[in-house]
Amino acid sequence: MPRWGMVIDVKRCIGCWGCTIACKEEHFLSPGVFFNRLLIGEKGKFPSSRKLIYPILCNHCGEAACVEACPTGATFVREDGIVAIDPDKCVGCRACLISCPYQQRTYYDKSVKEREYFPGQGKTELELIGEKLYPFKEGTVIKCNFCSERIEDGLKKGLTPGVDEDATPACVTICPVEARVFGDLDDSNSRINRMIMEFKGKQLRPEFGTEPAVYYID
Amino acid sequence: MTKEMHHHEKTMFPPDGTGLKPYEWMIKATPQQQWIDSKGVYLWLAFFFSEIGAGLYFISLFYSYRPGLVLGWLITLVLGGVIHVLYLGNPFNAWRMIMKPQTSELSRGIWVIFVFAALGFLQIITSGGFNVVFNVIMGILCLLIISHGFATMNVIRAIPAWSSTMVLPLSVISGVWVGSQLLQFMFAVSGAAALAASLEVWAEVLLLIYIGCVLLYLWGTYHANEVARESIENFFKGDMQKIFLGGVVGLGCVLPLLLSFIMWGGDTNGFLIFIRLVSVFAGDLALRYVIMKRAYYTPLI
Amino acid sequence: MTYKTDEIWEDKWVNTTCGVCYCGCGARVRVVNGVPVKIEGIEDSTMGGQGSGLCGKGTAGLMYYHDPNRIKKPLLRTNPEKGIGVDPKWKEIEWDEALDIITTKMKKIMEDDPNKILFTNQTMRASDGPHNHPYFYAQAFGVKNNGNFIIGGGSLHCGNACHMLGGLIHGAWSIAPDWRYTKYVLKWGSSKGTGSGHSAMTNARLRADAVRRGIKEIVFDPMGNFAGGKATEWVAILPGTDTAVGLAIANYIVNIRGEIDELYLKAKTNFPYLIREDGSYMRHKESKKPLMYDTKAGKIIEYDDTSVAYEDIALDGEYEYEGEKVIPCFIPFKEHLKQYTAEWASEVSTVPVAKILEVAKGWVDNSQIGSTITIEGKTFPYRPVSSVTFRGSQGHSNGIHQVAAIDLMSQLVGAEDVPGGTLGWPAIRRAYPGGQYEQTCSVGTDGVIVPSVFYSHDPWPVHEPSLPATNMGCVDVWTHCTLSHIPYVEEMEYIHEKFGMKSKPEMIFGISANFIISQSDWDVAVRNFKDCFVVQNDLWVNETDQAIGDIILPDVSYLEKDCWSSEIDAFFFSGSPSYEDWYVHLQQPVAKPIGESRFFMDVYIDVAHRCGVLDKFNAKLNDYYGITDPELQIKPGEYLNWKEIGERVLTWVYGPEGKKKVEADGYATWHKPIEDVYWRWEIESRCPVYMEYLIHDRRAMERIFEETDFDVKGLEFDLDQYTPLPSWFWPESHKDLDNEFDLLAFSYRDILHTNNTTFQNPYVDEVSKMCPYTFTITLNSTMAEERGLTDGDIITIETKHGVKETGIVKLMEAQSPKVIGIAGQGGLWADGRPIAKGKGANFCKLLPSKLKYFDPVAGNMETAVAVKIYKI
Repeated sequence: MPRWGMVIDVKRCIGCWGCTIACKEEHFLSPGVFFNRLLIGEKGKFPSSRKLIYPILCNHCGEAACVEACPTGATFVREDGIVAIDPDKCVGCRACLISCPYQQRTYYDKSVKEREYFPGQGKTELELIGEKLYPFKEGTVIKCNFCSERIEDGLKKGLTPGVDEDATPACVTICPVEARVFGDLDDSNSRINRMIMEFKGKQLRPEFGTEPAVYYID
Repeated sequence: MTKEMHHHEKTMFPPDGTGLKPYEWMIKATPQQQWIDSKGVYLWLAFFFSEIGAGLYFISLFYSYRPGLVLGWLITLVLGGVIHVLYLGNPFNAWRMIMKPQTSELSRGIWVIFVFAALGFLQIITSGGFNVVFNVIMGILCLLIISHGFATMNVIRAIPAWSSTMVLPLSVISGVWVGSQLLQFMFAVSGAAALAASLEVWAEVLLLIYIGCVLLYLWGTYHANEVARESIENFFKGDMQKIFLGGVVGLGCVLPLLLSFIMWGGDTNGFLIFIRLVSVFAGDLALRYVIMKRAYYTPLI
Repeated sequence: MTYKTDEIWEDKWVNTTCGVCYCGCGARVRVVNGVPVKIEGIEDSTMGGQGSGLCGKGTAGLMYYHDPNRIKKPLLRTNPEKGIGVDPKWKEIEWDEALDIITTKMKKIMEDDPNKILFTNQTMRASDGPHNHPYFYAQAFGVKNNGNFIIGGGSLHCGNACHMLGGLIHGAWSIAPDWRYTKYVLKWGSSKGTGSGHSAMTNARLRADAVRRGIKEIVFDPMGNFAGGKATEWVAILPGTDTAVGLAIANYIVNIRGEIDELYLKAKTNFPYLIREDGSYMRHKESKKPLMYDTKAGKIIEYDDTSVAYEDIALDGEYEYEGEKVIPCFIPFKEHLKQYTAEWASEVSTVPVAKILEVAKGWVDNSQIGSTITIEGKTFPYRPVSSVTFRGSQGHSNGIHQVAAIDLMSQLVGAEDVPGGTLGWPAIRRAYPGGQYEQTCSVGTDGVIVPSVFYSHDPWPVHEPSLPATNMGCVDVWTHCTLSHIPYVEEMEYIHEKFGMKSKPEMIFGISANFIISQSDWDVAVRNFKDCFVVQNDLWVNETDQAIGDIILPDVSYLEKDCWSSEIDAFFFSGSPSYEDWYVHLQQPVAKPIGESRFFMDVYIDVAHRCGVLDKFNAKLNDYYGITDPELQIKPGEYLNWKEIGERVLTWVYGPEGKKKVEADGYATWHKPIEDVYWRWEIESRCPVYMEYLIHDRRAMERIFEETDFDVKGLEFDLDQYTPLPSWFWPESHKDLDNEFDLLAFSYRDILHTNNTTFQNPYVDEVSKMCPYTFTITLNSTMAEERGLTDGDIITIETKHGVKETGIVKLMEAQSPKVIGIAGQGGLWADGRPIAKGKGANFCKLLPSKLKYFDPVAGNMETAVAVKIYKI
């Protein structure tokens, strides 16, 4: 069984937000809900300051703070390393949300569900069909699932996640500059492991001991 | 007077309660919102009630005072418990919260509450309930409940103001102190003036410890790291200033201290006890509010 | 995806072309039950990003379809008063009524003078529509030339000098580094590979590989954001001063290091051409061709004499022809550069002397003059250095010299259209296998390349300035404007009167342009256009529609559009400049048109038909595609809609089999020969680096000004810029700086936005809020602190002309302390676009609309402006 992970090449990323918006379309997310986004900052002083762009998403941590915090077992680590949420078990206590150092979880309640992309103008066909195609359960916590539907469907079709686009997370597929690479962290010869080795991949805030499955290279 | 918001700000960056613009999220120290904003206030109240209920229960054990047990038990379970459940997104799933005591602080807390509910009920209805063993067990359970809320917060490494070392002692003392004030008030209104007076010594000690813990918390957190410091700075200079100075310092510490001086050595008075109780309630709620409201996550980049 | 299958009766992907910016990437759209739900790139096409990659705003394009604010029926203004802040009191009318009003009006004007009708060249959404057809559509009405166009797309902020020199040097619309083979890239106010614009994601993909490979990318820019923020090194520079640094580097190359690619200069530029005392070419007494000196034979020869070896052509020396002293123009060029020292350039630009010299040294060291590279068995000169510019640096009153100076570096080391150097978009489009349509550039007068396709007018040969002016843009006089600036200047009426321009515009027939707010001073734009009868095809009622529109016709978005023509003729603009296959993409309808909206091309055809000029338009189409097959030609009297025309044209362009395949796939790719990429030494042509034509233009302009008693002085028209030598001229914005107005405001393209259309997209809107700089006004932190300003303050920006804009401050380290930055075209107010309304700040309105603020040669707008700022 693989352990899915991702490498984000910050050098390649140009901050176009493709990942963020493709993810919103893939999961029919309401306004204000992001499973993927960019953090844009700066370091250093003029004239030698640098712009920082960090695409962030759920880190699918090996030692996930959210899994520890969840009192019901609704949040769990799958065999393939994906941190998943079972909406039927989620009680909506948000302990996971609070405990995630990366703040990658969203509480999906009525107010979120009722939000409109064109406020006051009613829901569009897109939003309405989204509620059918990708329903979220009210009163539960939602987050990035590494597009596990794409991975599972892809595997069933004999495709390889990280290689075949249809079996790879939407944010990886959409990236116009190939700044994201998806693959198996347990396979020492996988492309992502080779990249982590060669370019000294770093995790976000490793001091929290969460063992993220998302690595950054520069 | 708050300055009227410019239409640019209203249109582009309407305030979302964090005090940040959307592009500053997790780039600057970012406050948690889930456990304080909108429906999150339930949790603030629930923590408070279950903890002061357990505090009342705890102090009542020393006086073998059954009405105190009953009221403490009810506050913890009914007020604390019900508000807790109301906070949940799927209250009908609440029973599942006992499933993960091995890792989840929250789940462990639920177990403690269940045990507390059952044993407490037994103690209340049992005539010989106040035996030492029972008292010790219940005392421990009370302390666990009191510290439960803050223990849940304490394990969150990404919020340094919560993972500060003084959080647990502060939480325990606040539960016991406010609980003791409730008990003293019960004594006073039930006409047990002597008991109320005898409790005054305890009250003074607890108050001083409480103030000490608050100071230690502030000092320790301020010096913990940059993000934690921002939380404390916000109490003194930021948008929590009024609540902190008026509520925590004024009502939570200074006024009770003044009242305690008046009643020093047991010269108690029902009215002043009542005033102090109200003040302490408000002060402790304010303390919990600012701690929850300005709990900042460590920025990611 | 988990859903109940019985509720889903359709779930398919449709291939089309993205229509959100100039780039036009291949895109596929997932449609469920008739509803478009997701967009991504097309994996097997090289058009655009890596694999199925697509940028954020392209991905967000879905909302063009879903926006409830789209207009669904034609609208007619009932309030005769026009202007900003005036309610047009729209009334919905039927299409027939709308078209009747329009054609009645048009026919009446045509009887008088068709040049009184203005058209727009492009939609504000840029690639969303056919490209060249609006130009010859206008011609069908009898409109003369490019002076009759209102600028859609990127407005005058984009363009003129870059396109002019792109055409003259590369036979292309724009330039990019050869990312595959380059080692050292200089970018000047350009975000090629890191932003939007031509072939944006194609460039981004190629650049990403290059930076991972380890190239050095140095960006000269007032701010370290999209380009500078991703560069190996960002160098802060004042807007409009790139020429200074460029010339100092050129001086270093020629006069300090003395390392130039002599062979290239002798073979591929006009530097050997012999000039007379007055700087003009000495021409052959009979053939009138420019002359060179053959050192081996010791004689003067015509420039195209193939018997001489390039090595033997003289770059120096003094000769005599017909009794007159002549010298190669490289001599004065070399002398001229000596005045531009690094110390001087540093004073002007704020770039430290050491930095200028370091970059110059890096440039020469990396240029590998004399080296070659063999790719696929073919050997080319190898020059892995590239210097590129675009909108940022050329958008100044000295724009022509900015572009010329930046290009000069590549010229001197021979890094033009060779591996590793600066590439134009392909100058040639080979026919699809089995198809008929091929575009190849030609070589014109004096050996200068003539692009096969170009928008508006060809940059070469230059037509002589003449009177009277026959259209609003007066391009008869300003011959180098790709699109004219005259319609936007305050002195327009004076200019028209002086130049005998009789065709005072009476009508505008537009396609989603927003020229009232996207050029310069809004009030001048309203004044210049409000008396016209304004018809626009548009998705929403935009600011221009609301201020001066009379009839607004509901247009389809690219998602509902059946447009076969999108990319066929756009190879020189949105093809890949690199060595990778040709591609072409169709725009195929993904969903049914919203309401009663109609594709503007079909409306155009309908109107042409009603006005009796459809045959002319169709004939131009036959001609444009060179259709000789009588079966496929559109015949007189035939009325075909755009799709039906496409049936014919596609068969011609791709052949019957190819057509089937293209239609089934939605796109096609075919092999691009490597010589079509690195064509510099394959085509016998020369770059007019010495801009001799400007000497003649100057004389003609002087004659015209004298003849018409034109107030050159009063209007501060700088004739000195008509010089053949790339030279330093202070941009007008700098001249306005003083103690009070002490900052230069500039604008830049945000990767999330295409002009102002994307502001109405709620996906883009919500991520824009998460960007620190998109909706804010940026100030250097230290400068802001000194002025008592901090993050989140609301400030007013005010120009010397009393124009004001307000916005929210965002401090930034990576910005020159002497500038303020605004990301383009925010500050919107149209009621028809509620998501866009009130977002960002508008930069354009701050730009003064006076003739002196435009490049006197190419007509670029000065896109920096002296301002003061204060807190509200």
